[in-house]
Amino acid sequence: MPATSYLALGAILFCIGLYGVLTKRNAVLVLFSIELMLNAANINLVAFSKFGLYANQMGQVFTLFTITIAAAEAAVGIAILFALYRNRNTTHADEFDTMKG
Amino acid sequence: MKTLIDFDWTVMAPELTIAGMAALLSVIDLFLHPNKDRRFFMWPTLIAIGTAIGFVATQWGKPAYQILADTYRVDDFAFVFKMILLIGTALVAVISYGAFRREKGFAEGEYYYLLLVALLGGMVMTSSGDLITLFVGLELLSIATYILVGMRKRAITSNEAAWKNVVLGGVASAFILYGMSFLYGLTGSTNLFTMKERLGEALTSGYDLYAWLALFLIVFGFGFKVAVAPFHMWVPDVYQGAPTPITAFLAVISKTAAFALMLRVFLTGFLPLFQGGGGTLVDEETGGRLLLTMAGLSMILGTVIALRQQDAKRLLAYSSIAQAGVILVPMATWGPFLFPSTVYYLVGYLFTTLGAFTVLMLIEGDAGDSKLSSFAGLSRRAPLTAGAMALFLLSLAGIPVTVGFFGKFYILMNAIVTGSPEHWAMYLIAGIMLMTTVASYFYYFGIIRMMYFRPPQRREGLRVPVGAMMVIGIAFIATLGLGLMPQWILGILGNLDWGAALSPVK
Repeated sequence: MPATSYLALGAILFCIGLYGVLTKRNAVLVLFSIELMLNAANINLVAFSKFGLYANQMGQVFTLFTITIAAAEAAVGIAILFALYRNRNTTHADEFDTMKG
Repeated sequence: MKTLIDFDWTVMAPELTIAGMAALLSVIDLFLHPNKDRRFFMWPTLIAIGTAIGFVATQWGKPAYQILADTYRVDDFAFVFKMILLIGTALVAVISYGAFRREKGFAEGEYYYLLLVALLGGMVMTSSGDLITLFVGLELLSIATYILVGMRKRAITSNEAAWKNVVLGGVASAFILYGMSFLYGLTGSTNLFTMKERLGEALTSGYDLYAWLALFLIVFGFGFKVAVAPFHMWVPDVYQGAPTPITAFLAVISKTAAFALMLRVFLTGFLPLFQGGGGTLVDEETGGRLLLTMAGLSMILGTVIALRQQDAKRLLAYSSIAQAGVILVPMATWGPFLFPSTVYYLVGYLFTTLGAFTVLMLIEGDAGDSKLSSFAGLSRRAPLTAGAMALFLLSLAGIPVTVGFFGKFYILMNAIVTGSPEHWAMYLIAGIMLMTTVASYFYYFGIIRMMYFRPPQRREGLRVPVGAMMVIGIAFIATLGLGLMPQWILGILGNLDWGAALSPVK
C-alpha cells in the first residue's frame, strides 16, 4: 500500500493521544489528546480514500461526519470541565477522585 | 437513480417522531419562563415514545427494507431492539417525574429532551446497515448520556462521573473510529454487507494483519460501550455519580443499544473474522475466543468485586458488569439460539434492572445516600416495595420462576449445546456462569437480609410517588410473568426473521 507514510502518521498521532489521555494531569490536555486520537482516524480515512484497496470518496464523507462529532464531543467535554472547575477550583484530572469503593 | 422523494419515509416514522418531539421540547423550553416548573415535559415525552411504539408496531412482520442508499434498514432485529429501547426509556421518563424537585439548578426541561435524543441515537444504532450511521447513532447516544450523567451541576460526584464518562467514552469512540478506518481501507466501503464480502478477500490476499488490527480496536471500543471487563473501570464511578434514573438508563438502554450494535457489526461486517477467513497469524476462532475471554472475565470480576461493596449503587454497577458478561455469552459461543436467548435475557434484564434502580432511587431520596444499610428494615416500612425489590434481586441472581432464571438457563443451554471436546471453552464458560451465579447469591441476598432481618433506622413509611409505584408494578408483573410463562415471548422471538438482519435487501 503506498499509504504507509500516512498510516504511520495516523498511528503516531493515535499513540501520542492515548499516551496523553493516560498520563496528563491537566484536564484540558486530556481533552486535546482525545481530539488527537479522533484526528488520527480522520487521517487514516482520508489516506484510504485515495490509496485504499478500493479507493473512493466515501472516506472523505465519513471524515466530514467525524469532524462534526468530534467538535460536539469537545464542546460537551469543556462544558463538563467548567462545571467541575466551579465546584472544585482545579483542572487537575487526578484530583477528581471523590468516589471510591 | 432514486431521488429522496422516492423513498418510503414512513419506515423512519418512529425516529422522526422522537426527533421532532425533542426539537419541539427544546424550543418550548427556550420560551417558557425560567422559573416555571418543567416537570410536565414528561407527558409530551411519553406521548412521543408511545407514538413511536405504535409506528414500530406497524413494522411487525414486514419484510426488511432499506432506505437512504442502504444506510438505514428496518428489519425484525431492529424491530425487537427498538421496542426494548422505547419501553425502557418510557419507564425511565416516568420514574424521573418529580425526582429532581429538591435539586438546585437542575435543568429539568433539558433532561427530558436529552433523554429523547439519547433514545434516538440508540434507535439509529439498532437499525443501520452502514458504519457512518452506526457511528453517528453511537455518538448521539454517548454525547447525550455524557450530559445526562452530569445533570446535577452542583453535585461534585455528578460532575466527576460526567468527566470520567466523557474521557473514557471519548477514548472508546476514538478506538472504534480508528478500527473503522482500517475496515474502510481494506474494503473501500462503509456498507456492512459489502464489507463482509470484501473482508474475506482482504484476509486471503495478505492484508489479514490490518483486518485483525481493526477487529481488536473495535472490540476494545465496544467493550467500553457495553461495559464488560477488562474495560469496565469507568462503570462503578459513573453509575454512582449519575442521577439514579440516568444510572438505570445507562445500565439498560445504553447497554442494550451497544449490544445491538455489536451483534450487527460482528455478525455482518466482521463475519469473515469469526467464521474462517484463512488468515495466517491468528485463526478463524480468534474473534469468538476474544469475546469468550471478555465474557468470562466480566462475570468473574463483576461478581467478585461486587461481594465487597458497601454502596448499593456500586453493587448494582458491578452486578451489571457481571450481567453484561452473561449477555455476551451467546454471541461468544455462537449457538443455535443466539438471537432469541440474547433478546430474551435483555428483555428480562430491562424490567428487573429498572425495577431495582427505581427502588434504589426511592431509598436514596429517603435516606440521602445509597449505602446498603439504608435498606435496613424496608420490609416493615414499605412491605410491598420490599417484596418487589426482593423479587428483582432474586431475578438478577437467577432463582427459578423469575425471568432471570429462565434467561440464564437458556443462555447456559445454548452454550452447552455448542460445546464439544474440541470446543471445551464452551463448557468452561458454562462452568464460570454457574459458579459466578452461585457466588452472586451472597451479595443479592445481602440486600434482602438488610430489608427483612435488620431493624429500620426510621419509623415512618417510605414515600412512594405514583410514577415510581407504576414502574415497580410493571417491572414486578413482567419479572414474574415472563418467568412463569416464558413460552409467550419466546414464541414471538422464535417466529421472527433473524436471518433478514444478516443479508442485504435485494
